Amino acid sequence: MSQTQTQTLPPSGLKQWWLKWRFHFNILLILIPLGFMPKYFADASLFRGDSGLGANVVKDIQVDRWRLDLAELRDEAPRADGPAGHFKVFNAALCQTCTEGAKAIYLRIGKPRNLRAAGSIFFGSPYRMSTSLPIPPRTRPDAEIWITIEGWDGSMHQASVPLAKASPATVAWLEKQGGK
Amino acid sequence: MARQIKKSKSKLWFLVHSWLALPIWFFVLIVCFTGMLAVVSQEIVWLANPDVRASQPDDNAERLSFQQVLSALNKAEPDMAVRFISQPDGSHFALEAAVTYPDGTSPTLYVNPYTGAIQGKTPDFNFQAFTRALHGWWLVPFTNGYSWGWYLVSLLGLPMLASLVTGLVVYKKFWRGFFKPVRTQHGSRIFWGDLHRLAGVWSIWFIAVISITGTWFLIQAILGDNHVTISTEPIVPVIAREQVPQSPDGNPVPRIDLDEAARIAQEAIPGLDISFITLPATAYSHISMGGRGWYPLMFQTAEVNPYTRNVDSQFLLGDRSTLEFVTESMRPLHTGDFGGLPIKLIWFFFGLVLTLMVLSGLLIWTKRTAQATAAALKRSERPARVRRHEDTPVEAQP
Repeated sequence: MSQTQTQTLPPSGLKQWWLKWRFHFNILLILIPLGFMPKYFADASLFRGDSGLGANVVKDIQVDRWRLDLAELRDEAPRADGPAGHFKVFNAALCQTCTEGAKAIYLRIGKPRNLRAAGSIFFGSPYRMSTSLPIPPRTRPDAEIWITIEGWDGSMHQASVPLAKASPATVAWLEKQGGK
Repeated sequence: MARQIKKSKSKLWFLVHSWLALPIWFFVLIVCFTGMLAVVSQEIVWLANPDVRASQPDDNAERLSFQQVLSALNKAEPDMAVRFISQPDGSHFALEAAVTYPDGTSPTLYVNPYTGAIQGKTPDFNFQAFTRALHGWWLVPFTNGYSWGWYLVSLLGLPMLASLVTGLVVYKKFWRGFFKPVRTQHGSRIFWGDLHRLAGVWSIWFIAVISITGTWFLIQAILGDNHVTISTEPIVPVIAREQVPQSPDGNPVPRIDLDEAARIAQEAIPGLDISFITLPATAYSHISMGGRGWYPLMFQTAEVNPYTRNVDSQFLLGDRSTLEFVTESMRPLHTGDFGGLPIKLIWFFFGLVLTLMVLSGLLIWTKRTAQATAAALKRSERPARVRRHEDTPVEAQP
């Protein structure tokens, strides 16, 4: 195969070098996992909760009698998930002494009118919960994200944080989407 | 004449076979090696770390039920939230419990299945997860769908399958090669060649399994990234708002315990084996559980409503389509984790043989094909120059 090729082409220095070493280049593939190793361990630590709640933590958001920290999992633009649209993962933690009575916690862009439309529900233990928040590309960059806590008695408690504070990267992304 | 054609054809096959793995030999070697380690990574951890072992305190000690384990954990660490409990395949392994502490750290704990005692937690360097990530996707992170490292590794299934086919074509009467001794007296080139062929015939089945299942991983990624699904698994909706009671005093409504949930599921689904159980992740979530069915390559799962005691959803062997039986079998066939230690050891052994095949193929290549290529290169230099001299006057002439 390549022999016939070499017979028809006049070998130059560079060509010779290429023909001799081209099959050894795959050794360089080992650099890929070496390069990604710090990222791998940083991610493992992030998912174990060893590096805190996430990026851009908004601390001590008062929602009625509860206090809660909110953070984006990563400081980055929303990720596309095919036809379902774009999503942004947020983490939250209730303060250690005030987990009582909270039945469910939701996150939504814009103020929800009732519990049925409260948004994405947080999964996990009160000390570290996650939710994947849909981000419509037409969201206004000055939007607020609303935290809704549902009590076991059916009550509803709300607070909001500017999206720009909770996820600057999302706002930057939204501003870029603006033209479309 | 016909004989000559046949001969030249087999020569071509041979050439294809020897060139197939070459631009990627080192990569294939590392992937085979890490794959071999990944198969027994759990066992390696078991040997290295006593926390992972299920030590029986005395001969009469019995295994605790899931609820008994949960109660033991809650008693030991009242503030800790337990999310998931699982019994790894093999009774010599400790239970694994995914938990969250009040400070937000979420390790996996190793729990003694007889006493419920917390023996330790997964170390910061998780050898098992690391070897699997290195083998499976070359540590390239998943940022948008499948990682490109996954594609890079799974693409190797194709040249591996091709080298199996071409190898069998060029090895005349390979079925007679099963007991051919390896010649050690005739130099390293003969030795590695004999070893390559002997290892090759014994691992025909294994190379076929690994390359076909590896190619499946490629197809799986392509399907996944194009949002094509062939799964018939029901998407379990959250529990309807009406079914989750309210409590006027604001205290959480009691849910059924894990053993009750397991009993309900096993009553509804005869023969359901439960080796893992997930506690509700929200007030509107089920207690989900599952385990292997009679066909050990696939799992059966059930979702029990902790308020109404209904089995709201289930996904059993009988619910799978024929296609799913094939595609869902691919992963366990690749990893060899469907029949306990004996199967893993077989997979490990042939993984080692396959690594040696790549290594010996590589050595043969450097000793023969590379020399032949270098010689051909040298030969080509002279006629090439001659031709150039000839060409110039031809071009100069009108």
